[in-house]
Amino acid sequence: MDGESRNATVPWDNAMLSPVDRLRSDRADSPTPGLVEGTEPGAVQRSAIFYHAQSYEDLTAEAENEAQRAPEPDRPQGHNEDEIDALVGEKSVERRLNNDPSSESSTKEEDVSSEAWRSHKKHVFVLSEAGKPIYTRYGTEEALSSTMGVMMALVSFVEAEKNIIRSIHADGCKVVFLTKSPLVLVGVSKTGQSDKELLRELQYIYYQIVSLLTLTQLNHIFQHKQNYDLRRLLAGSEYLTDNLLRRLERDPGLLLSAVTCLPLASSARDVVSSSLQAAKAKNLVFSILLAGDRLVTLVRKKDQFLHHIDLHLVFNLVGSSSSFREGEGWTPICLPKFNTAGFFHAHISYLEPASELCLILVSTDREDFFNMSECKQRFMERLSKRSAYQAMKEALKCPSYSVEQVGIPELRHFLYKSKSSGLYTSPEFPEVYQSDEEQERLMGLYQDLHSCLHHPTRPLRYFYRCSETENLLARLTSGFELYLCFSPLATKALAVSAVDKLLKWIRKEEDRFFILSPLTY
Amino acid sequence: MSAMRVDAKVVMLGKESVGKTSLVERYVHHRFLVGPYQNTIGAAFVAKPIQVGDKVITLGIWDTAGSERYEAMSRIYYRGARAAVVCYGKSTLGKYNKNTIKSKRCYRQVKCKSESIGAQYFETSSKTGKNVGKFYWQLVVSAVPSEAFVSLEETGVDLDQKKDSYFYTCCHNN
Repeated sequence: MDGESRNATVPWDNAMLSPVDRLRSDRADSPTPGLVEGTEPGAVQRSAIFYHAQSYEDLTAEAENEAQRAPEPDRPQGHNEDEIDALVGEKSVERRLNNDPSSESSTKEEDVSSEAWRSHKKHVFVLSEAGKPIYTRYGTEEALSSTMGVMMALVSFVEAEKNIIRSIHADGCKVVFLTKSPLVLVGVSKTGQSDKELLRELQYIYYQIVSLLTLTQLNHIFQHKQNYDLRRLLAGSEYLTDNLLRRLERDPGLLLSAVTCLPLASSARDVVSSSLQAAKAKNLVFSILLAGDRLVTLVRKKDQFLHHIDLHLVFNLVGSSSSFREGEGWTPICLPKFNTAGFFHAHISYLEPASELCLILVSTDREDFFNMSECKQRFMERLSKRSAYQAMKEALKCPSYSVEQVGIPELRHFLYKSKSSGLYTSPEFPEVYQSDEEQERLMGLYQDLHSCLHHPTRPLRYFYRCSETENLLARLTSGFELYLCFSPLATKALAVSAVDKLLKWIRKEEDRFFILSPLTY
Repeated sequence: MSAMRVDAKVVMLGKESVGKTSLVERYVHHRFLVGPYQNTIGAAFVAKPIQVGDKVITLGIWDTAGSERYEAMSRIYYRGARAAVVCYGKSTLGKYNKNTIKSKRCYRQVKCKSESIGAQYFETSSKTGKNVGKFYWQLVVSAVPSEAFVSLEETGVDLDQKKDSYFYTCCHNN
């Protein structure tokens, strides 16, 4: 890539924390900002934090390879003999706002024969290859053992013919299957999402389970006892999966395969990063500082990369549990995109009892607790001597920004992802999207746009859609991915001209919104 | 720089949701958190400084997760522990013994069992705090190396414990 080769020629001094001025001005003057990866606003100036941060395709490639081929509804019927693809009805463009009665606590006690249970817009089931229930999003696993038995029968029946069942489309409802031996995951959705999107979500659930047990352990268990009840080992972790499913509906980061940062002056962030860098230890691989659902900084061992899926699993673990507030947490965690075979050991603790700032130190050694605890102490000592800690606490008071600051009329909201850094930025939801329902609806619209841009056979670069409630524009280049939401009064011309204006604004603010100079130890 | 100084390592053991974390919370933070049950992930370490005479002794409490999933990790928590606290919940015991007489017999059994292995038995309530202070004080007395008490116990009471101490505790978390 153009940008990469240019970066490579710049002599980087590892000891330096701030970027070379010459390069910074080069970047700003780039004639076609963002059209080339590595030159877009928010692009990293050194090697990226994430492994495979480049594109959405990278992430789903594996899923597709394993499923051999993504279902293509438009192919001539004759070519589809090997797929059960009874396509009934057409994809609803506008996502119906479902009357989802999801009172979180009662979802488990739900009667699985009730209409309320059937009307959930997305069900997720996990079962073993012996057909034993492992997880259901709604209702109890026991009550669903026969339903899951039928699911397994469908999988086995098609498999017996040396085939793979991938999806069933019927009556406004899609049933998607993901076979990840020794587990089978089934999604039943009324949301109008594509098979590819649904598979991606199932993939996340699969990784969530692997992160608790490792694939090696999973295989070992089922090799020894095919009809093992995996719920025994997963006891108490169901809420992690529940929360992950909720995040998949609400968190743009999971949609974009990216994470967002706490807006923070780059000088302060650099001090925090270098303090973390200094607090290193032999077996320490990643030091991650979170502020709620936002990344403050991430320092990694040289040549080791964290995949954003793994980071999202860490976000989910920390965000779902109050357990780490009791003291210093020490837990085995498998980062499946890094290595499905083994556990890392994570030291998880908040910087202060009531603080949002949570430090995660990932070590390869299970005996490393006190070493990690000491790393944290060293980090805290360094940090408290500087003004950066105060700056970080100030930044926490306004962890987001309003879209008005951009100064584009009729613009309500946007998502901007810098591909080379794997980071995204987005303003807070404006007044019209304050309710949970409205936020989910907007996320649904973004998901639709995302599906269109990343269509397996007809990917798009521009997409504009008008509706009664909002006008949307999506733009994809090799450098960035951008989704804009305008009021219905906006025109197409205005929307198109907004892209440049917004890019310029983000370029101006990139120091605050992105981690431009990630560090390693 | 040395690792955190801990005078005595204590490990909390027991099945999930019996109230191990609640018992630690009550002792360390003097509170009982109401709200939905949250299981411990992996283990949580809390250092609790205690004033003993003119000395401050640090108790390092390992609050382990009850889930079977973390059993492989348990060895690192046991190792070098001065005391192990085995918790069971009155309500969980009751679940399997609907019959009151049976359940009473069960308590006696637990008590007998604890006596037979030389463990001390306590009934505590993390919600009200009943017996929690007393229990932990006994724990400190048994688990902390006797040198720490020298200034306190100049009259010469022998508190030397050669082997690890075991504690059985019953947590009333309702």
